[in-house]
Amino acid sequence: MFKTLRIILTSALVRGIVGQALGTALGYAFVAGLRALRGAETGWIYEPALAFGAIIGVIGFLLGAGVLTDWLKWAIGRQTPLRHGAPAGRPEWSRYFNVDYNHKVIGIQYGISSLLILLIGGVFAILFRLELAHSGMQWLTNSQYNTLFSAHGIIMIAAILGGVGAMVNYLVPLMIGAADMAFPRLNAFSFWVSVPAALLILGGIAVGGWDTGWVGYATLSLRAPVGMVLFLLGFWVVGFSSIAGSANLLVTVATMRAKGMSLFRMPIFVWAAVAASLIQLTATQTVGVALTMSVAERVIGLNFFDPTGGGNPILYQHLFWFYSHPVVYVFVLPGLGVISELLPVFARKPLFGYRWVALSSLGIALVGFLVWAHHMFTSGMADALRVPFMFSTMLVAVPTGVKFFSWIATIWEGKLPSNPPTPLLFVLGAISVFLIGGVTGPILGTIPTDLHLHDSYWVVGHFHATMFGGFIFPFFAALYYWYPKMTGRMYNERLGKLHFWLMLPAFWVMSIGQMSVGLLGMRRRIADYDPALGIDGTQLLITLAALVIGWSVLIMIYNLAFSQRMQPVAETNPWRSRSPEWQIPSPAPEFNYDVPFEVVGEPYDYGLADATYIRDATPAAVPSGD
Amino acid sequence: MGRLRHAISIIVLVALSTLGLRALFSVILALPRAASAEAGPIDTLFNAHFWMIAFLFAFIMVMMLYSVFVFRRKPGDETDGPHVHGNTRLEIGWTIIPTVVVLGFGVWGAITLNAITSPKAGEMVVHVTGKQWAWTFDYPEQGDISSGDLVLPVGRTIVLKMNAEDVLHSFWVPEFRVKQDLVPDRETTLRITPTEIGDYMLRCAEICGLNHTLMEAKVRVVDAAGFQAWVDEKSAAPAFADMTPEERGAFWHSAEGFSCFGCHSLDGSPSVGPTWQGLYGRQEQLADGSTITVDDQYIINSILHPADQVVAGFQPNLMPPDYADKIAAREQEIQAAEGIDIDITADLIAFIKTLQ
Amino acid sequence: MSAVTTTHAPAHAEHEHGLPPAQQVRANRLGLWLFCFSEMFLFGALLASRFVLWGNTRPELSQVMGLVATSVLLLSSFFMYRAEMGAAYGDRSKFLNGALLAAALGTLFFIMVVVLEWNVFGLEGNLFGVELFGHLTPADGVYGGIFFAMTGMHALHVLTGIALILIIWWNGRRGRFTPESHWGVEATAIYWHFVDVVWVFFYPALYLMGHLAH
Ligand code: HEA
Ligand code: HEA
Ligand code: CUA
Ligand SMILES: [Cu+2]
Repeated sequence: MFKTLRIILTSALVRGIVGQALGTALGYAFVAGLRALRGAETGWIYEPALAFGAIIGVIGFLLGAGVLTDWLKWAIGRQTPLRHGAPAGRPEWSRYFNVDYNHKVIGIQYGISSLLILLIGGVFAILFRLELAHSGMQWLTNSQYNTLFSAHGIIMIAAILGGVGAMVNYLVPLMIGAADMAFPRLNAFSFWVSVPAALLILGGIAVGGWDTGWVGYATLSLRAPVGMVLFLLGFWVVGFSSIAGSANLLVTVATMRAKGMSLFRMPIFVWAAVAASLIQLTATQTVGVALTMSVAERVIGLNFFDPTGGGNPILYQHLFWFYSHPVVYVFVLPGLGVISELLPVFARKPLFGYRWVALSSLGIALVGFLVWAHHMFTSGMADALRVPFMFSTMLVAVPTGVKFFSWIATIWEGKLPSNPPTPLLFVLGAISVFLIGGVTGPILGTIPTDLHLHDSYWVVGHFHATMFGGFIFPFFAALYYWYPKMTGRMYNERLGKLHFWLMLPAFWVMSIGQMSVGLLGMRRRIADYDPALGIDGTQLLITLAALVIGWSVLIMIYNLAFSQRMQPVAETNPWRSRSPEWQIPSPAPEFNYDVPFEVVGEPYDYGLADATYIRDATPAAVPSGD
Repeated sequence: MGRLRHAISIIVLVALSTLGLRALFSVILALPRAASAEAGPIDTLFNAHFWMIAFLFAFIMVMMLYSVFVFRRKPGDETDGPHVHGNTRLEIGWTIIPTVVVLGFGVWGAITLNAITSPKAGEMVVHVTGKQWAWTFDYPEQGDISSGDLVLPVGRTIVLKMNAEDVLHSFWVPEFRVKQDLVPDRETTLRITPTEIGDYMLRCAEICGLNHTLMEAKVRVVDAAGFQAWVDEKSAAPAFADMTPEERGAFWHSAEGFSCFGCHSLDGSPSVGPTWQGLYGRQEQLADGSTITVDDQYIINSILHPADQVVAGFQPNLMPPDYADKIAAREQEIQAAEGIDIDITADLIAFIKTLQ
Repeated sequence: MSAVTTTHAPAHAEHEHGLPPAQQVRANRLGLWLFCFSEMFLFGALLASRFVLWGNTRPELSQVMGLVATSVLLLSSFFMYRAEMGAAYGDRSKFLNGALLAAALGTLFFIMVVVLEWNVFGLEGNLFGVELFGHLTPADGVYGGIFFAMTGMHALHVLTGIALILIIWWNGRRGRFTPESHWGVEATAIYWHFVDVVWVFFYPALYLMGHLAH
């Protein structure tokens, strides 16, 4: 017991947090001190000091956790061999609290933190849903409400980025037959830098919150309460994680595929990961610029967005959505990849139209770059931009449709099990939910209808459906499906099914309810609504549904946490999958494949007798130089 | 043979589900009453979209559930499904057809947009100003009258020329369907042609800070005679010289004055700024810990230098610091129009004193 | 792959399981290019903001200073190239001198931006009739905003570049690079050239394009 405590207290996580606290204090004291030296008095929170402290705090975290140690040693010319496994004298589980370089450990670290902040964001949602259950103010003030939904939005998005990181990190090296990612230290950096970022955002709530929503539009962001700065900086730091992680993944896929694995023989999930990474690699920079400008305008007084100095508030929106539209496809592409990956296994049929499905991911990513201004149809941007962006928006439906049609064709005449296991249930649920999310998009994309729907709960319904269908459901499917791979044990099937059958109907009620009240005139981001709208009943239903979703997620967490000890050991390949990661023991060995494999066939040749996808590479084919 | 049976079942199921869903939508996804000419073509487009949503959802769900139930593994069957990799014709088809459909919707959207935004005969301009958290409407063609309610004549196309003073706001009356943001320092326009006499609510649809929830204004659509009567009544209104200071103070508090009501209630209800009820003579604890008694000096200072003495529990820097200028400008305007000197802060103090 | 041979392999710390060196360098190179590609969007967004906010105007800046600073930076790229060649062909002194010169010129550029153009010390002075210190301040509306944002973001990259050059110089003096293995030098050079190329776009956007505002 005492030993456990000691291990945790000396872990990178705790050292990092201490480092962040110290760094923040130091940075704060430095700037506040400079100001005090000049004799100016300050309020009890002095914003420039807070901003500077926040940045130094992040560096403090990285130094404290030891993420930068190896690189600093390199700079002075010291060799640092990559450490594998737990540090000497420490138990295996301590790896998850420390800087570890193994992609599977990092994947699980991402996954657990993602679930953790999903819970935080979910609790926030439940708190403000209770306020909305009935018209009239129940128990929150306007300012608390504003902070809660703003934090809910950004925290959920961080949770998604974490979940994407989890799936991509854990699965891609396994699927392409690599021992690890191309840059293991960078990989650890990507994960760890997101921890202080999350702490910054939570800190923003602690110092008084902010009220701009997750979009942080200027000029409101320039006068929002002081939590705004921490939100902007936190969001900004998350960007480092995205950029580093995506570059790492792209290099890994480009250079480390197993022998014979041509692009069109990669498991389909890898395609999705590549497309998502392309977006993260590039678009993230522009939101970084938007956030930096906002901080600079608030804190140092540079002028970009405030029209009184000649600035342009709409510029912020362009920069913001240039990232934040494409990033919604980062949320969903890996999820859609999971769907494409699992359906052939359960239907025992090849993935229909593999090439077209693979290319549709790239298509979505590319067209996704051309549609950002559809969030700004009512913003007052140049009139000439509206119609072109309407057409480009409509076109994203096409590659997305390709995926749906291919999924249907895949399971058509397929042999889905008559008693579907939990992952399959979640995949089928995901298809239905993402479908309603998707088809409620074009109605937003045509300007005349968007003029009514913009900033109404229809939009809220639309994006909860896309994000649940494109991320939450597939992510849960992936958690159940690869659970045996990660832990070596089977999850509890009955609890899994209970989770699904609670969550699916509840989700439908929530999302359709949101769309319904939105059409009737319910605005977004309001703490209270007019009883004359006649939506009290629906709002109550939405809140009840939210509670059910909340409970069902708790059931899953219980299932995942306790199955590890109480459930039977899983078979090596419980789903009879042909994918490489299922051909090795579970949990996967430290270096994945003790004998490298080579690809000799198509990835999804179910139904073709004695087809092979991979086989042990002949020793001669092993690249030398080891 | 089997194929034909499947095809027929699918067609029947999809058709039935589409119709069923569309019927369901008209109950659970209903639009509010339509009260503007613009709502007509927009609702037609809505209707088309709902049909498409119903059809696409029905089609894919029927196919999916059909596969799940009809083709599912029979007990004891351990074989794999048929080895089908793809079908180029099908794949081209399901790329081309949706492309054509969505482009069609794009064209339709563009035509509708053009119809509802193009200038019409006999338009009337109304200036809309939004600020945290109040609306003001000015009628340049009616002798520049100014109002806190939006009153509109039925059947005439209104061109709203809109401006925000501080942050983004958005004009939305659901019954009119259309929406437009207000941007600081930039004029945005919106055309609406009210077609139904009645009362509506304008609510700000863009998050604008603390009291975004409460940023509302009444909208009244009246017939031509009613509108003229309202204009007459309004323009007859304030000859400031004839009003008592207390009356003028109440006027300055309203949307036609300086919209103080956006932040300061008169009935003791909590808001962004201290309520004015019982304000005069009250003991207030300031954020720096000191205590003051509200007197003329304090009120004047709070109007002209709002950041100076912030009452504990209220956020600093919410109240704009430029009231000194606005008040001076207004005083000059009145001096020019009526030839009298008005002291607006004194009016406000007189008004506040009545609110015990 | 049917026969699974080993179970959970024990982690052996002494055994390096990274990529073979040649493959690792290939990966590094690709990674660096991807990084530059990503940064293009950062600088691109700044450039785009410049065009939105300034349109067809520009603030009044010292043309001489801009031209001199640009030349200094380009010259440093030339020495960086020589340094890289030196490292690639094992010419130690060419490498070290080139790197040092590149860093020195980079520092000069940095000083010109921060001390002269930004005039952080609020100085005044003339040299050959050219005003040495800039007048634009951060408070000058969008002109100040964009100018300080673009030069600041670029200067930050210059500073990083100088630090990297000094690191390879320091390691180079200890003989840590060979013609076969000098990825650090190559990477620094690519990065440095990239930062220069960015300035090649920034310079005209800030100093040359558009007509003078007021
Ligand atoms: C995972 C996230 C995700 C995904 C995948 C999408 C997908 C789409 N979104 Fe959504 N969207 C969001 C997340 C997402 N969105 C979020 C978070 C917001 C709000 C942000 C905020 O303001 O806070 C938003 C807001 C938003 C708006 C702005 C609304 C407003 O504020 O006024 C618009 C407008 O065009 C839009 C459109 C679309 C379209 C056209 C798609 C398309 O990609 C959908 C394509 C899919 C289909 C169409 C279904 C399948 C296709 C077929 C079956 C083929 C046949 C189809 C046809 C013939 C139509 N979305
Ligand atoms: C992945 C993204 C994601 C997810 C999963 C969710 C999940 C939920 N969201 Fe959220 N939402 C967003 C992303 C997401 N949301 C975004 C981006 C916004 C926009 C913000 C903005 O406007 O800026 C938003 C906004 C938003 C609004 C609009 C607020 C407003 O405009 O005023 C609403 C309102 O109903 C809402 C509700 C919910 C609910 C009820 C859930 C539920 O599904 C949550 C379920 C709960 C859990 C998953 C946690 C598990 C539960 C517990 C640990 C506690 C259990 C306790 C009890 C049962 C008592 N969300
Ligand atoms: Cu004004 Cu919201
Ligand atoms: Cu979008």
